[in-house]
Amino acid sequence: MPRSASPPGLLPYTDTKPQGAADFYFAINATFRFIHNRLGPGGWATYLRQMGEGYFEPVNAAWRSGGLMAVASYWQAFFAAEPGAEVEVFRDATTVTVEVRRCPAIAHLRSGDREIVPFFCEHCFHLGSARANAPGFAMRLEGGAGQCRQTFSSSSEVPPQDMSAIRKVEPLC
Amino acid sequence: MLGCYDFCGHYDWTFEWLRQQGGEALLRDYWSGAIAVDSQRHAAAMIKELGFEGMKKYWAYTLNEEAAGYVITSRENVFRVDMHECPSKGFLIRNGIEHSADYCDHCIGWIGPMLKPAGFTIDHEHNHQGQCWWEMRKKDDATPPSRIGEISGEADIRHSAEWCAGQKDVFEKSVSVADKKPAVS
Repeated sequence: MPRSASPPGLLPYTDTKPQGAADFYFAINATFRFIHNRLGPGGWATYLRQMGEGYFEPVNAAWRSGGLMAVASYWQAFFAAEPGAEVEVFRDATTVTVEVRRCPAIAHLRSGDREIVPFFCEHCFHLGSARANAPGFAMRLEGGAGQCRQTFSSSSEVPPQDMSAIRKVEPLC
Repeated sequence: MLGCYDFCGHYDWTFEWLRQQGGEALLRDYWSGAIAVDSQRHAAAMIKELGFEGMKKYWAYTLNEEAAGYVITSRENVFRVDMHECPSKGFLIRNGIEHSADYCDHCIGWIGPMLKPAGFTIDHEHNHQGQCWWEMRKKDDATPPSRIGEISGEADIRHSAEWCAGQKDVFEKSVSVADKKPAVS
């Protein structure tokens, strides 16, 4: 049995420590900047969509078989393993709502005095919608820059994502 | 959201995705630019200012954060790390993740370009099983890599039974992943 500090079955991959190392957010932000600069906004969005469909397929499969209950359980376990996250997850018959009150990535990047790519929060939509679509759900996002609301819906009558509803990350004064 | 808990997993996936988009050249640019210069700029600044002491501060902090099993040995003219349980490769092995051709390349892929402007070179060997050793010296220091146990004593990873388990890659007086040589057995 692999050593694990995570609740079994909720996250596809487990580690020996209960939370990740926050400095990895520096690398995620730098990776976004690199790919966006070298391959353009379309290349960056493709990177995230393909990661959502490929790397995250074990999660997508769990959502496919477990429905919205699995979606809600996943996000609770996910944010419990992200240092500094303050998040609540709600579920009703057709929707899982993830209320991010303190985004751990934005908080750590700011405390580390990093130049955050302004489009950082769009990654949650590109990645999240690719993952949601795989088992037949829709994902929408509003807010950003530290606080946002993400919804995962089983309804087929969800309006398209309004990209202007996703906040750019502005430099702090 | 892309998280830090399974960072090593999507980092590994990203290596292969970049290689498919732009070959080894794009992947090496990523390590030497995005990681060495952008992500790890705090490490670069600390080592440029403090030299070996900066290495000690940086790696002691970050390897503890990542829950590595390691021993650092710092001498006047050399900084050595014996990695007994790499948290990064270990995560991949435990979870059965292997998207990229050689995940271990990423370390020298960014550490080499980070140390080069600070005036250091690297002797390094890894076995692709979560064990490796590193010796950093000033670039004008021609001292060869240490003999087994010479610097870190019993903590030298080359004493361990696990060390022989995997295929080894070797780097001598290197600052680039392009300097890789297969180990002579």
